[in-house]
Amino acid sequence: MFSNTLDNYAHSNKYNDLNTYFKVLFGILTMLMSLISTSPVVPLIIALFMSVLIIFGAKVSYKFYLKFFFFPFSFGLITFIFMAIFFGVGVHILEFGIFNLAVTADGFNLGLLVFARMLGGFACLAFLALTTPMTELFSVLRLIKIPQIVLEIAMLMYRYIFVFLDEAINMYHTQETRLGYSSLKKSFKSMGMLGSNLFIRTWMKGEQAYIAMESRCYDGSIRTVKKQGSIKTIGTRNLVLLVLFELVLIMGVYFTGSFRIF
Amino acid sequence: MHIYEGFLPWQWCVFWYALAIPVVVYGIIRIKKVTDEHPESKPILAVSGAFMFVLSSLKLPSVTGSCSHPTGNGLGAVLFGPAVVSALCVIVLLFQALLLGHGGLTTLGANTFSMGIIGPLAAWLIYKGWQKVEGSQEAGGFILVGIFFAAFFADLLTYVTTAIQLSLAFPIPTFESAMLKFMGIYAVTQLPLAIAEGILTVVIFDYIMKLRPDVLDKLGVLELVKKVGKIEEPKETV
Repeated sequence: MFSNTLDNYAHSNKYNDLNTYFKVLFGILTMLMSLISTSPVVPLIIALFMSVLIIFGAKVSYKFYLKFFFFPFSFGLITFIFMAIFFGVGVHILEFGIFNLAVTADGFNLGLLVFARMLGGFACLAFLALTTPMTELFSVLRLIKIPQIVLEIAMLMYRYIFVFLDEAINMYHTQETRLGYSSLKKSFKSMGMLGSNLFIRTWMKGEQAYIAMESRCYDGSIRTVKKQGSIKTIGTRNLVLLVLFELVLIMGVYFTGSFRIF
Repeated sequence: MHIYEGFLPWQWCVFWYALAIPVVVYGIIRIKKVTDEHPESKPILAVSGAFMFVLSSLKLPSVTGSCSHPTGNGLGAVLFGPAVVSALCVIVLLFQALLLGHGGLTTLGANTFSMGIIGPLAAWLIYKGWQKVEGSQEAGGFILVGIFFAAFFADLLTYVTTAIQLSLAFPIPTFESAMLKFMGIYAVTQLPLAIAEGILTVVIFDYIMKLRPDVLDKLGVLELVKKVGKIEEPKETV
């Protein structure tokens, strides 16, 4: 119910020391390649490649990764089946014999494409989420000129998410041990109490945080020490590798563009 | 219901980004104005965003047994107004993508449009409209009806927008028939969830009103409560 292990991995994986900008560029560019592809081949290769990188390169536990991947995978599969049956107007390639339902060629192709694109995109997202801590992503956001006020709110928010998640988990378990979720009506009551108490607590925390900040000379902006490393320190070798990889992908997208199973 | 990474073709990703960005920029300008005038509101906005995130990671007790989570945008819109919520929502959605794997980066624009703009706007309009209704300020419980419908429609319109987004992206054979299919699925799975979120929001709001009406007063949500005469001295909270 409450999973924040994603963040734990982001701070303790083997790619942690790699240049942040390099990781982000790699993840986003590959994600875009997967997005613009018109055939399922390239996205599936990307999904496989990213998964191998995450499990064998970044040494994220494969059990955790598979569990993390399971939900988008099953959702994608359902979409695939749904599209194959309901989103075609072309040739029937498989008749069910009931309700005049049939898998059509164009529906199947579209479903497969969406399914592949979801896997490819999600693997890239997982790569970013599992290898790059949020705190380092903020420096990337600063580079692309996201307003200071948004960054400050985002940073504070990031810090408080975990505080409140802890409190929510505590409250939830406390309510559960007192049979707070034994029936539907009680569930709503307990959940409502949890939510409202959480809101009041968040409010108090916010006020206290302001008092604490003000007593330490808060003048409306939060200054942080930047981590070493910039876009210039990616290194020629990594940069060449990155460009080559993306070029291969673009060529893949171009040459497999008209590939269809049916 | 987030649209997953890679679900939309790239043309539609760009399109929804283009629609969402002006609203979000307006929200950011509003936030900047508020925080420049009242610096103490910055941490409060941040913890409110964190609250929205945590709320959306709670599992909703649902009638159909399907597991889903409250969006929290109805409550947020009633408390903070739609423009501020849309800006907060982008950050929350970004965190959801990167910390929980819900949603995605390329579909961030589309998700922001449905969850951060249409949903909160609907909630806010309904809530403001309800305040004008004759008699809505008389009985204490009557306010909660407005809250219920605000949260209910915020949820519902979020799903309708998502269905429209999906059928625009996949208009096969026509937009209408695709719309009918997506709406068919959503009506079965999401309508109970919208009702559940409505009820939950009412319960949450009711508790806040009982325990800390001064907070709501500060936010300016409840001139109502004063007239009803329900405001008491703030009690100690647990």
